[in-house]
Amino acid sequence: MTTLAEKWTEALAATTPSPAPTWLRELRDKAGMQFRAGGLPHRKVEAWKYTPLRVLEGFELAPPVPAQSPAPARTAGRAMDVPAPLCERAAVIDICDGATVDLPVNLPEGVRVMPLAEGLERFEERLRPLFEAVELGGATRAFTALNTALAQQGLVVHVARARNAGPDAGRLLLRWYFSPGAAAAMHHFRVFLLLDDGARLDLVEQFMYAWGSERGGTGSTAAGLNLLCQAELGAGAVLEHTRVQAESEQAVLLTSTTLEQAADSRYTYRGFDLGASLARHELTTRLRGRGAVADIAGAWVLDGQRHADNHVCVEHLAPGCRSEQFFRGVLGGRSRGVFNGRALIRPGADGSSVRQSNANLLLSPLAEMDTKPELEIYADEVEASHGATVGQLDEAAVFYLRSRGLGAAAARRMLTSAFCRTVTDRVKGRGLAERIAELMDAAMPEAEL
Amino acid sequence: MLEIRNLHATVGGKAILKGLDLKVAAGEVHAIMGPNGSGKSTLASVIAGREGYEVTAGEVLYKGRNLLELEPEERACEGIFLAFQYPVEIPGVNNTYFLRAALNAQRKYRGEPELDSMQFLKLVREKLAILHISDDLMHRAVNEGFSGGEKKRNEIFQMAVLEPALAILDETDSGLDIDALKLVAEGVNRQRSAERSMIVVTHYQRLLDYIVPDRVHVLSEGRIVASGGADLALKLEEQGYTWLEQGGIQPLAEATQPSAAARSTARKVTASP
Repeated sequence: MTTLAEKWTEALAATTPSPAPTWLRELRDKAGMQFRAGGLPHRKVEAWKYTPLRVLEGFELAPPVPAQSPAPARTAGRAMDVPAPLCERAAVIDICDGATVDLPVNLPEGVRVMPLAEGLERFEERLRPLFEAVELGGATRAFTALNTALAQQGLVVHVARARNAGPDAGRLLLRWYFSPGAAAAMHHFRVFLLLDDGARLDLVEQFMYAWGSERGGTGSTAAGLNLLCQAELGAGAVLEHTRVQAESEQAVLLTSTTLEQAADSRYTYRGFDLGASLARHELTTRLRGRGAVADIAGAWVLDGQRHADNHVCVEHLAPGCRSEQFFRGVLGGRSRGVFNGRALIRPGADGSSVRQSNANLLLSPLAEMDTKPELEIYADEVEASHGATVGQLDEAAVFYLRSRGLGAAAARRMLTSAFCRTVTDRVKGRGLAERIAELMDAAMPEAEL
Repeated sequence: MLEIRNLHATVGGKAILKGLDLKVAAGEVHAIMGPNGSGKSTLASVIAGREGYEVTAGEVLYKGRNLLELEPEERACEGIFLAFQYPVEIPGVNNTYFLRAALNAQRKYRGEPELDSMQFLKLVREKLAILHISDDLMHRAVNEGFSGGEKKRNEIFQMAVLEPALAILDETDSGLDIDALKLVAEGVNRQRSAERSMIVVTHYQRLLDYIVPDRVHVLSEGRIVASGGADLALKLEEQGYTWLEQGGIQPLAEATQPSAAARSTARKVTASP
């Protein structure tokens, strides 16, 4: 019997290489070999212990979309519902089935967006080290290896310091979706964010569907995206990153986001997992310069048989840096959540401040949450706190609301919704925060406990 | 308004209330005093309908109805309000949002039209002004990060908005310094009316300097052992609760004309050692 890894290895061998600089072609070959050697992760691979990949059985490896070709949705000329944009007044980039559909014209000041091929011409000296920094070895890195080998389509976002780039400078919205009726296939895409010193980018990503039933049940087919995003934040640069994942019940999203932060740069992440069959996000940031800040928060609201896995790692490499990981989860039905929050304070990163908190509510006896905080400190004068909890609604709070006249069900709904609002409240921009809170409430499972 | 007859209640299988009788008429303020563990907070919880409190005997009639068959939210909608000893912090729920949802749930129950946000804000501003509370409280999550005094004032503010017929103040004075205590007491006094009854549960007499009750009851080991006017509280302050254990109920009981039920209980207490 052919395993999935073997099937994918064959598909990989059959892909035609596309034009690229020699070093990149060699890197892609190497990545392909690494995948062949390492195979796919399984239960015994620690980082994937709680995230089985059964759901990928039956998935083909989508052949690479050549860098210069337009997206399939466009070629087909098929009328198709595109999901409504999550926020207003944003420059929208559509990426359908792992291929860019359109590039926006009205970009915020200082922002340039280009296809990967063009980016490689303009920024080769900045992109090459990023390409080469990606770990490829072993089953743990199977999907980054696959991405490196297969993602010929990609985007490079370059942000220069803008004269008037205040906090309200425009937003960039990456709108990811799959076309309906496509065969179950795993697509690959690559994103590079290059923020110069003092540059500022407000990036929103939405992974939503526009077709099928309300909850994406019927009419949708399985589709997958393996996305690799790398960001470079220059000194004093600011990246506001909001990510909302409310995909259909058949979608699989495997994302890896890696950042390198220079002195006094600031990264803000607000991530929400409300859908998909399987969604895994590996978020790693390295605080390389003094005074860098990583303010990371997220929530998952899961029902049915959904599975969401967030692996967060903040590495403190310089003194005086600050990081926070704040995650909340609500799980109902037979859903499963995984959180692995790691903070690593390297020698010399003295005076670091690290906070980490993950709390979860289980609303059903069959829901499961695996949470693991990891704090490793090798420096002096570090201020650190961490906590992880999995529990049920606080009955004292339920009674408090009922004693004011709210019915039991309404009280429970208010509390579960409030539990995650501690994260939406941190979203910049009231309109966007409200919209996310609405989506979250709509995804909220019924309490069975 | 409220009539409690021979109330017995257990918590976790342990008997706490052991035959409590109490009658509160409309417009009256009754104080329930007693040492720790005497059953004061249990009484408040049983009236409000908190889970985990099992009534094993007796009855509680509210406006002539059997209160014990109502859910906590139905009791609230019928006009019962419990000011918590430990108000619960609810991160993520905005105070204004919560209170409007509660008020509208109650209005809906009573068949009254719900208030829209403008009407509600107007009401809130009025009540805030009366209680001298800054509206900063309204923009925060329910009780989250509030000081002890702020939490208690928030309870009194909720009471002002919900306008209950019967308010139970459970140790509203605990954890308050004298200035905060005065503010809270003033808030309560402004809400006294001929239609509104209150039960003030307290360990210490000092709250009753500011909220002067019509009746004072002494609770000991799950029963009311003495009842009297406001001066009973002063006597308690002088003598402490130890006289209860020493069987010293007699002089006080005589001095304060306890109800028939309390008198019979008092005899039992004196007879027991």
